[in-house]
Amino acid sequence: MAAIIDIHPPRTVRPRKATAESFFSRWLIISTAVGFMGLMFVLPLVVIFQEAFRKGWEGFIEAFDDRATMHAIWLTLKVAAITVPLNTLFGLAAAWCVSRFQFRGKRFLTSLIELPLWVSPVIAGMVYVLLFGAQGLFGPTLKEHGIKIIFALPGIVLSTIFVTFTFVARILAPQMEAQGQAEEEAAMTLGANGFQMFWRVTLPKIKWGLLYGIILCNARSMGEFGAVSVVSGHIRNKTNTVPLHIEVLYNEYQFVPAFAVASMLALLALVTLILKTLTTTRRGAA
Amino acid sequence: MSIHIHHISKTFGSFQALKNVDLEVKTGELVALLGPSGSGKTTLLRIIAGLEFADAGEGSIQFHGTDVTNCSAYERKAGFVFQNYALFNHMTVAENIAFGLRVMPRVTRPDREEIDRAVAELLRRIALEGYGSRYPSQLSGGQKQRVALARALAVGPQVLLLDEPFGALDAKVRKTLRKWLRQFHNETKVTTLFVTHDQDEAFELADRVVVLHEGDIQQIGSPQQLREHPKNEFVADFLDCVMI
Repeated sequence: MAAIIDIHPPRTVRPRKATAESFFSRWLIISTAVGFMGLMFVLPLVVIFQEAFRKGWEGFIEAFDDRATMHAIWLTLKVAAITVPLNTLFGLAAAWCVSRFQFRGKRFLTSLIELPLWVSPVIAGMVYVLLFGAQGLFGPTLKEHGIKIIFALPGIVLSTIFVTFTFVARILAPQMEAQGQAEEEAAMTLGANGFQMFWRVTLPKIKWGLLYGIILCNARSMGEFGAVSVVSGHIRNKTNTVPLHIEVLYNEYQFVPAFAVASMLALLALVTLILKTLTTTRRGAA
Repeated sequence: MSIHIHHISKTFGSFQALKNVDLEVKTGELVALLGPSGSGKTTLLRIIAGLEFADAGEGSIQFHGTDVTNCSAYERKAGFVFQNYALFNHMTVAENIAFGLRVMPRVTRPDREEIDRAVAELLRRIALEGYGSRYPSQLSGGQKQRVALARALAVGPQVLLLDEPFGALDAKVRKTLRKWLRQFHNETKVTTLFVTHDQDEAFELADRVVVLHEGDIQQIGSPQQLREHPKNEFVADFLDCVMI
C-alpha cells in the first residue's frame, strides 16, 4: 500500500523530461544569456559607479554641492510627485473601464493604453509643443491668459504623464479581468456602496499589482529623457530635470559630477528592481 | 417579503435572455427556478438582486409592494449566494460574515460586540464554530457554501437568492446541504428563490417550481402539479429526461 501511495521517485533518479536539452546546449544557452546580460547591463552599472567615485567620496559629495544639481533633483522629485499619483488614478480608471465594462471600441482603447510603449518619447514631447507651444494650436490663447506650459513645469509634467501612463493600467487590466467581479457584486448585495466596495474588496485584491505599477511608473517618470527634453528647453535652474542635467554636465566635460548624479538614477533603478521582485513574488503568492 | 416580477425582458446584444417574464413569489415561500443552461434563470435571479437591469420599458419589479425596478443592488439588499461563493479571500471567515454589518451607515451599524455576537451565532447555525479565524482557502466547498449563506443572512435580508447553491459540490454533500437548507427555511421563513438545473433538487426543496426555457416561463406549479400535469411538451420532456 505504501508503495502505491509513494509516487515520488527516489531523489537520486532525475527524471529526464522530453524537453530537456543536452548538457552542451544547456551550457551554451545559459552562458550566452549570462554573458550578454553581464556585458549589456551589469558592466555599464559598474562603470557608472566607478566613474562617480573616481575622485573618492569627497568628489562624489562635492558633485551634489551645486545649485543647479540640487535644483534638478528637486524638480525631478516634483515632477514625480505630480505624475505618479495622477497616473495611478488614470491607470486605475482605465483598467477598471477595460476590465469591467463591455463597450464598442474597447479593443481600440486597450491598444491606446499601450501607445506610450510604441511611440517614440520624442513624439510625445513634440505633440505638446505643437499643441501648447508659442506657434502651437492653443499657443496664442494660452499666451493671452499668461499661462506657460512649454519650457515650464506643466509641459514637463504633461509629457511625463504621457510616457508613464501605460504602467499602472497595463499591469492592472489583465489582473482585474482575470479576477472577475463576483466579489464586488457580493459586496454590493451586502449593502456596500461604491467606495466601500472599492476600498474593502477591490483594493486588497489588486494591491500588489498596483504597487508594482506605481514603482515602475515612478522609475520611468524620474528617468524620462526624450519627451522631457523636447518640452523643457534645458533652462538651468529652471527646467532641467535630473536626466537632462546629467547630459548638460557630461557635455561640459564634468565627468565626475555627471556620473555621480547618474549613479543616483542607477541606484533608483536598482531599488526599483528589488521592489519589483518583491512585489512580483507577493503577487504570485497572493 | 413578497416579490412581484412584471413583464421583465432582457437582451444581451442580439440575444434575448428573458422574454416578458411574469412571476410572483409569496412571503415565506421557497421557489425553484428550474431550466437547462442558457434558459435565463440566472439572469432572472441577477435582475431581482439588482446586479443586472432589465430592458427599459414597461417591466417592473416590486419588493413587498415597493417598486425597486431602478434601485441598485446595494439599495435592494437582497441576500445573494453566488455559484462560486464569491467569498472575500483576503478576509477571515468571521470578517466575511461581518462584512454586511460593518458597511452599514454609522447610525444603524451595530457596535463591535454586537457584531461579534451575531457572527458567533451565525457560525453556530452553520455548524462552523471555531472556524471564524480561518481563511476561505482553508475551507472545503461545502463549508464555503455555508459561509456564503451566513454572510448573506447576517444583514437580515427579506429575500434570499441562491444561484446554483449546490452546483459545485459532490453528490453526498449536496444531499446533506439540501436537507439543511430546507430545515433552515422552515425555521426562518425567509422568502427564498433558488436557481438549479437539477430537477430532483427543485422537487425535493421547493414549494413551487418555475420551469424556464429560452427566456420564457413554461410552467409554474408545485412539484406534484408539474409531475402530474406538465403543461407542454418541453416540460414533460425536460422532466422525463432528467428522471431517467
